[in-house]
Amino acid sequence: MNIIRMVLAAAIVFILQVTVAHTVSLGEASPDFVLILLIVMVMDRRPVLAVIIGFLLGFLQDLGNASYLGMNALVKSLTGYIIARYASDLLPDNSLFKGLLIFLSALAGDVILLNITLSFDALSVFVTFFRYSILSALYTAVAGIIVIKAIDILPGRTVRSGGGF
Amino acid sequence: MQIISFLFDKHLEKSVLAAAVALSIFMLTRGETDQINSARAISSVLLYPVERVEDYFSDIDRLREENLELRKIAASLAHERERFIQFRDERNRLREMLGFREDSFFRFLPCEVIARSSNLFHHSLTVDKGSEDGVAAGMTVVGYKGLAGKVVQVFPASSRVLLINNKAISVSCIDKRSRTVGILNWERGDLFRLDYIGSEEDVLKGDTLLTSGLGLVMPKGFPVGTVFQVAEEKAGLSRKVSVVSMTDLNTLEELFIVTGGRNWDSGEILEQLENIINAEKNKE
Repeated sequence: MNIIRMVLAAAIVFILQVTVAHTVSLGEASPDFVLILLIVMVMDRRPVLAVIIGFLLGFLQDLGNASYLGMNALVKSLTGYIIARYASDLLPDNSLFKGLLIFLSALAGDVILLNITLSFDALSVFVTFFRYSILSALYTAVAGIIVIKAIDILPGRTVRSGGGF
Repeated sequence: MQIISFLFDKHLEKSVLAAAVALSIFMLTRGETDQINSARAISSVLLYPVERVEDYFSDIDRLREENLELRKIAASLAHERERFIQFRDERNRLREMLGFREDSFFRFLPCEVIARSSNLFHHSLTVDKGSEDGVAAGMTVVGYKGLAGKVVQVFPASSRVLLINNKAISVSCIDKRSRTVGILNWERGDLFRLDYIGSEEDVLKGDTLLTSGLGLVMPKGFPVGTVFQVAEEKAGLSRKVSVVSMTDLNTLEELFIVTGGRNWDSGEILEQLENIINAEKNKE
């Protein structure tokens, strides 16, 4: 994915996140398209680039909710790093495993987000996590699998064998 | 150097991650107002190109609407012009049948004001068209709304225009409604006085005054001013008619020199007068 495609994909995803995400929500759960984009982007990339991409995507997401500026940047940087550093090598090239990865990433990210927004109140974090985060993570994972499948069947897609940057 | 080498050569990944985490935590620990202000500033920078594109497209829409309106106006004016040309031709044919001099259309030369007289009572200005553009002394100068003055001095690329609020200029005017004729003179500020109006003459407040064309000094039919007060003089023989100019003479920027409608070569008026005198003599 070259830089122009990256910017274009980011723009589309942010538009989706702002316009579509809340309209397709199930109860309180809505998909995190930015997380899906991050995982698609950082797979098979060097961790340095993954951290930068994660930070930028998270920071852009934070601009929409300026009360916690830096929160998504923190979560997405860490997610990007962990996926690029460990998950790319360990997980087989299978969309179901990628879905699982998205699910776990969403859950891990939510733990950090909830702790920051709920001021590390363990009980509130615990209740909110079970009430909303699991369903949201599941929803994001399903959406992610669909997106990854769609990307796989796109014409001209090449599978790299030895990593990216 | 050793630290830099340690950070960027041996532990680049961790250094970048640490920097990202530190930056995120730094942003998180700032006050809410600072966070919102920063986000707003960054958003405005990032969205600037989008806003420009949006402005561009909204401008296009606005210009398209304006263009459509102007097309309608242009089409309507074109029809109107055709009608006027037919009326002019018909009028000239009728005038010819009655033995009157042929009337002709005015031609306007647009010009811009490039200098103004600083003298309070000697109102004049300089425009950017001169003899090279076909301007001649004596030509009438009009604004968008009506008469402004006349050319008194011509240079190759500029001309001096005396405005009608100059004491040296008197304009023969005709009341558009009653066809009463008087001489317009400047009084003060934007106020003028219509002289030689008898107590029985029909001039009312709100009447429009046009150039009369008498004496062939100025072409006939240009709006000059509006009557705003009519008062009886003490002697009871005449009336004091106060007029306000149609054109705001203090804010003139673009003007039109009337170059057509008459042969402006010097001596034309004298020739015409001679012709009239000769015709009278022949009749006798």
